[in-house]
Amino acid sequence: MPTLEVLGMARKIADKTGAQIAVALLGAEVSSFHRELIGSGADVVYVTENKDLADYQANIYVRAFGNIVERIKPDLIIFPGDGTGKDLAPRVAYGLKSGLVMDCIDFEVEGKDFTFIKPVYGGKAIARMKVTTPVALITVRPKTQEPFPRDMNRTGDQIIVEAEFASPLLDTKVLERIEEEGEEINLEDSEVVVSGGRGLGNSESFKQLRHLAKILNGAVGASRPAVDQGWIAPSCQVGQTGKIVTPSVYFAIGISGASQHLAGMIGSKFIVAINRDPEAPILKIANLGIVDDYREVLPTLIDELSRITGK
Amino acid sequence: MRIVVCVKQVLDPEIPARDFQVDRQTKEAIQGLAAMVVNPYDENAIEVALQLKGNQKDRTVSALTLGAEPCEKALRHVLAMGCDEAIWLKDACWKELDSFGIAKVLAKGIRQMGNIDLVLCGRQAGDWDMGQVGPLIAGELSLPCVPLVYQINLEQDRLVLKREMDRGVEILEGRMPLLATITSASSNQPRYPTVKGLVLAGRKKIPIWSNQDLQITERIDRLVTVEDLIIPQYERQVRIIDGETGAEKATSLAKLLVEMKLLT
Repeated sequence: MPTLEVLGMARKIADKTGAQIAVALLGAEVSSFHRELIGSGADVVYVTENKDLADYQANIYVRAFGNIVERIKPDLIIFPGDGTGKDLAPRVAYGLKSGLVMDCIDFEVEGKDFTFIKPVYGGKAIARMKVTTPVALITVRPKTQEPFPRDMNRTGDQIIVEAEFASPLLDTKVLERIEEEGEEINLEDSEVVVSGGRGLGNSESFKQLRHLAKILNGAVGASRPAVDQGWIAPSCQVGQTGKIVTPSVYFAIGISGASQHLAGMIGSKFIVAINRDPEAPILKIANLGIVDDYREVLPTLIDELSRITGK
Repeated sequence: MRIVVCVKQVLDPEIPARDFQVDRQTKEAIQGLAAMVVNPYDENAIEVALQLKGNQKDRTVSALTLGAEPCEKALRHVLAMGCDEAIWLKDACWKELDSFGIAKVLAKGIRQMGNIDLVLCGRQAGDWDMGQVGPLIAGELSLPCVPLVYQINLEQDRLVLKREMDRGVEILEGRMPLLATITSASSNQPRYPTVKGLVLAGRKKIPIWSNQDLQITERIDRLVTVEDLIIPQYERQVRIIDGETGAEKATSLAKLLVEMKLLT
């Protein structure tokens, strides 16, 4: 859960600097989360409840968040690197005329002097960056931080921050939300992921991957090119602009291993790659590799594993 | 309707890690043999703009780029795709700008272009992967900002935008002017320039605007600095599975997975 991961990171900062960790909690009916947030590492929770905050809408959230920031006057503002966080952070940064580093994976700190570590060039390089303004903002890449071990004995205040929003602040109107017909097993939580890439050639081939995933109790993933071809749902995309996954085993089938994809799965404990190009970058970072056409390999692999596991 | 697409030229993001090098003194990637290309998400943005323009004569698509000499190639490319014009913001004093500074200058450029109805930016650039410039431009121009859009249509006088969410699609309606950041989708894969397009693009005049042309008088400082740029080393000893046929390799793989207790 991105928020809990971010709180875990904040606690580590607090351990090194003695900083106080405040959480800004926004929504229609959210004050009941206060105890869980304190237990997960927050020292104080500032809450703004308002029916206009029921769904995330940038303008209103920026306003509400800005209210709370004015009260706290923080040195560092941390956003989770989920959709909401990545949208809100630059807007808040603009309002505060302060430096923002997106997609951080780590930090160093001495007193109030922070250095933020972030992948760049699609993950081919790592940059160490500093913010020159008095307030710094960061977003944190999901799955890179450990949540704080929950301790419900922790205590902390809840501070209500009232806010009224002059209407209309809404400059866009949501017409429709369509939940995706996704795959069955949640990609980010799965211990086994079976992913396909451009090398699959068509959407039909994903049937084989689904079959393999099923035998292994795994989830199906994909690289961006496969998604952009329309072969599989966007929510299956693993990569820098998709999901970050850290399964026990990751199968990369027909995936070349472009750095943007690696960014999403390099944290996997064990990587199996099947690719007919011996020079494919994925074969340099996998644990086990097969240099062959996946069509020659998968049917037998599925049969063997089916037999062994009895599925 | 006037559409502006902000375009950045970047080092080809497709180059494999083994060919990628950095200069630790200048803290920049070394171009080497790699090509400089239009940022892929910006190409998607151009495609969205061109689809929205369609055949309508009263809709124009302008490309706007901030950068040094090599940018001309990128501008000619997007002209060849079908943009009506391309404007180049070029000045040596902009060499060290960060996201904040780039957004400031691009916003000035957009203001200078007159009444713009829609600004499109790729969701992030394939070099620094920040994804801030779009929202920061929206801040500078006081525009609504809709992130991760992949398709835009005009219905009567409203824009209908389709955007990507964590698990699904959101369809919104918005009034112009607004800014959208663009992500890739099967519906916006960039078109290839035609031969005719390339010829016409080669002949088009590209206005170049400097810091002075934009009447920027204040100094633009960096809010974020780069201390170091390094290439991480991944340590995995890859084992390639032998075999005469794919089937044989598959059998070996299955055995290994069981032996290594990797299956739940």
